[in-house]
Amino acid sequence: MLVTWRYRFRNSLMDRFDPRARWIFSLAFLFAATMFWDARFLLFFFLISFAWYFSGRTAWRETKRGWKLVGFLLFVMIVVNTIITGGGAGGVVPPGGHQVWSQGTTIPLINWHFHFGLTYERLWFAICQFLRIGGISAIFLIIPYTMDPRVYGVTFRGLGLPDNFAYSMELAFRYVPTLARDFGTTFDAQRARGYEIERVKGGIVKQIIRIAPLIVPVTMNSILTGEDVTNAMDLRCFGTRPRTWLSKLTFHWQDYALIAFSIFLLVGGIVTQYAFHTGNFWVPDFWLRLAGG
Amino acid sequence: MNELPLIVENLTFQYRRRSEPAIEKIYFSVQPGQVMLIAGSSGCGKTTLMRCINGLIPHTYSGEMSGDIHLFGMSVTGMRLADISQTVGTLLQDPERQILGSYVMNEVAFGLESLGIPREEITPRVEKALDRLGILHLRDRETFGTSGGEKQKIALAGVLAMEPKILLLDEPLSSLDPASAQKALQAFRQLANEGIAVMIVEHRVEDMLSIHPDVFMYLDEGKMAYLGDTDGLMDVVDYRRIKLPAQVVLERARRDPAPVFVPAANSRSEVKTALVRFEGVHFRYSGDGPEVLKGLNFSVNAGDVIAVLGHNGSGKTTMVKHALGLLKPTEGRVLLEGQDTRKMTVAQAAHTVGYVFQSPSQMLFAPTVREELSFGPKNLGFPADAIVQNVDWAIETVNLKSEMDMPPLALSFGQQKRISIAAILAMRSRILMMDEPTAGQDYWNYQAFMDAILQMPGFDAVIFITHDVDLAVIYANRILLIYSGEIVADGKPQEVLKDEKLLRSCRVLPTSLLKLNMEYLPKTGRFYRAETLAHIQS
Repeated sequence: MLVTWRYRFRNSLMDRFDPRARWIFSLAFLFAATMFWDARFLLFFFLISFAWYFSGRTAWRETKRGWKLVGFLLFVMIVVNTIITGGGAGGVVPPGGHQVWSQGTTIPLINWHFHFGLTYERLWFAICQFLRIGGISAIFLIIPYTMDPRVYGVTFRGLGLPDNFAYSMELAFRYVPTLARDFGTTFDAQRARGYEIERVKGGIVKQIIRIAPLIVPVTMNSILTGEDVTNAMDLRCFGTRPRTWLSKLTFHWQDYALIAFSIFLLVGGIVTQYAFHTGNFWVPDFWLRLAGG
Repeated sequence: MNELPLIVENLTFQYRRRSEPAIEKIYFSVQPGQVMLIAGSSGCGKTTLMRCINGLIPHTYSGEMSGDIHLFGMSVTGMRLADISQTVGTLLQDPERQILGSYVMNEVAFGLESLGIPREEITPRVEKALDRLGILHLRDRETFGTSGGEKQKIALAGVLAMEPKILLLDEPLSSLDPASAQKALQAFRQLANEGIAVMIVEHRVEDMLSIHPDVFMYLDEGKMAYLGDTDGLMDVVDYRRIKLPAQVVLERARRDPAPVFVPAANSRSEVKTALVRFEGVHFRYSGDGPEVLKGLNFSVNAGDVIAVLGHNGSGKTTMVKHALGLLKPTEGRVLLEGQDTRKMTVAQAAHTVGYVFQSPSQMLFAPTVREELSFGPKNLGFPADAIVQNVDWAIETVNLKSEMDMPPLALSFGQQKRISIAAILAMRSRILMMDEPTAGQDYWNYQAFMDAILQMPGFDAVIFITHDVDLAVIYANRILLIYSGEIVADGKPQEVLKDEKLLRSCRVLPTSLLKLNMEYLPKTGRFYRAETLAHIQS
């Protein structure tokens, strides 16, 4: 059985918007924010995103797990990929720059030479990444906690997707918490057989084999659930005629205002970026002065 | 329309990858307002027959089919699944596999939405279906948070909203507590009285008798072994394969030798050491959620064979998960061999407690049954020769030695369930805990492995959660009766189960075997299965 995200009506500002308008805003925000690497623009997007996020009035304990995942992704993308390896900054931060620290080392016997260099430019880029990814995460993370599961399907239908796709989107949305529940159950079942994930050690192949007791049952359950869902839908005539959606969505003035703001963000972004060629990666002077440059 | 709702003519079906037909030469007809019961042991073809009638065969499951099925005079050959579904409503065995909507209203409306019924017609039809089953108050509830019995009614309401003329019910009682099962049966009879042809696949024949089915069909290895009324069925069916009323078994078993059953765990009852001790255990899943366990105090001692009885959602599974440390009390403590479960890992606890989860698909993963069964003992650090020995013993106990080199996931559900029990048996834990061990098992198989487990020496205590009162009557030497997170009775079966008023208040209903045992109790001093009572002079 598919479960849903933990939603409750909070009578918040966000609750007053039509879910279609919310999706339009979220997607417009995503496309607009990804056009910029200039921290001044990204700060603007960051502030908008958190103003929007807090308008949902969710409690920290509700979204804590989601933020932990975002925190992990931010760590990998910013600390590992940008600061340590420098790979994340490729193509945006010009080569060279003002050194913060530089260190070379050679592994004896195999004679491999490693060079680690961190520049002020890359550090600034990491801040930009934080603003951009953090803002986008806030916009999308809030959706499952604040959107009524009863209107998932009709929302996507209202956004122009055909019935089958719209309902598939609803199922896909609900698959994530279902997967988490199944994983928790399997984890408990294997722990009851003396399995300890902390003891999974060894090379990559050995580690994959050792986590099979978790992965195989969860995957098999997903396949079985898929089959059950298909049978249940078939037995109730799904997909044979144009579907009536029980919930009816209606736009109000605030929804038009939000859509207008979304268009402003997207069109404004395109014009700024492509007509005025503004918004690319930029490092402020005060930052470079820290490097003595 | 004077045609019969359903006529099945000489129906044979063989799945594509099987060498034998799953059902062969089946014929019968059903009239409006009739209740038909289809019984048979696992793999007898019951589910295949239902799939042929509701159109999943051949639309979803392919194979070779001959014969014909007529719905109100029209052959289903060439009919679209959607057209069949408007006449034939199906309730699957596990309502969780059928429920699609996140809220009750959406779930019940799903079929009507698919048919493109105008919105203003959908709401009254949904409310009518909910009202018909007495669950209108659940209209705006989340489906996930409802109890097992409520889920089943919600799934049924979803089918009824489409106004079918034939209703197929696949083992509708399997996940219900006895009181909910009886209520469900009354609802099915009521639907038949309203003119719907109701077909029920069920091996709890005794429970079914309370609504007086009009026609019985007994399937054996895909063939019709009986088609007729109740009286005839009692003579034809093997009482060891299908659960019949205790009085019937008593009469028929007199002609056969008495069964031999010597429980092993009882022999240790002189050692009264607390293996597990619950001390004022309270539990809630989330800080602001309802309290699921409310101050439990009890001990599990060596020699105990405990049946945990209680209604759906009473906290039975939550309670036994505490013994293994999978859940920790929010208040109070659980001691496992004197040690607080908060201070030990689940893997450490697994040396003492072996816990069989309800659903086998949640744990099976290995490429062969042998490797599956070795997994637990290996994790617990058993030496290689002990692993081989334990695995052999476990597989023999569940009677699946021939499947040793098969992938467990390729086996039937009933076999998977037995493999999941064997996987825990192989760990040779001191306490064996089983959550609904008989779910999805036919009568003969579950009696066989319960007999084997309880006669094998090795366990200091056995605990099983069940809705099957007869299982408790036959095997337990102690009953824990739970109601809404509290233990309302704890004692010997003959003490706890004699209080019919208490049982009914906990949604546990007395069975014919229990009643028979109460009659014999002055003479026997304890409970026995009907086959044993048959050889005691009344």
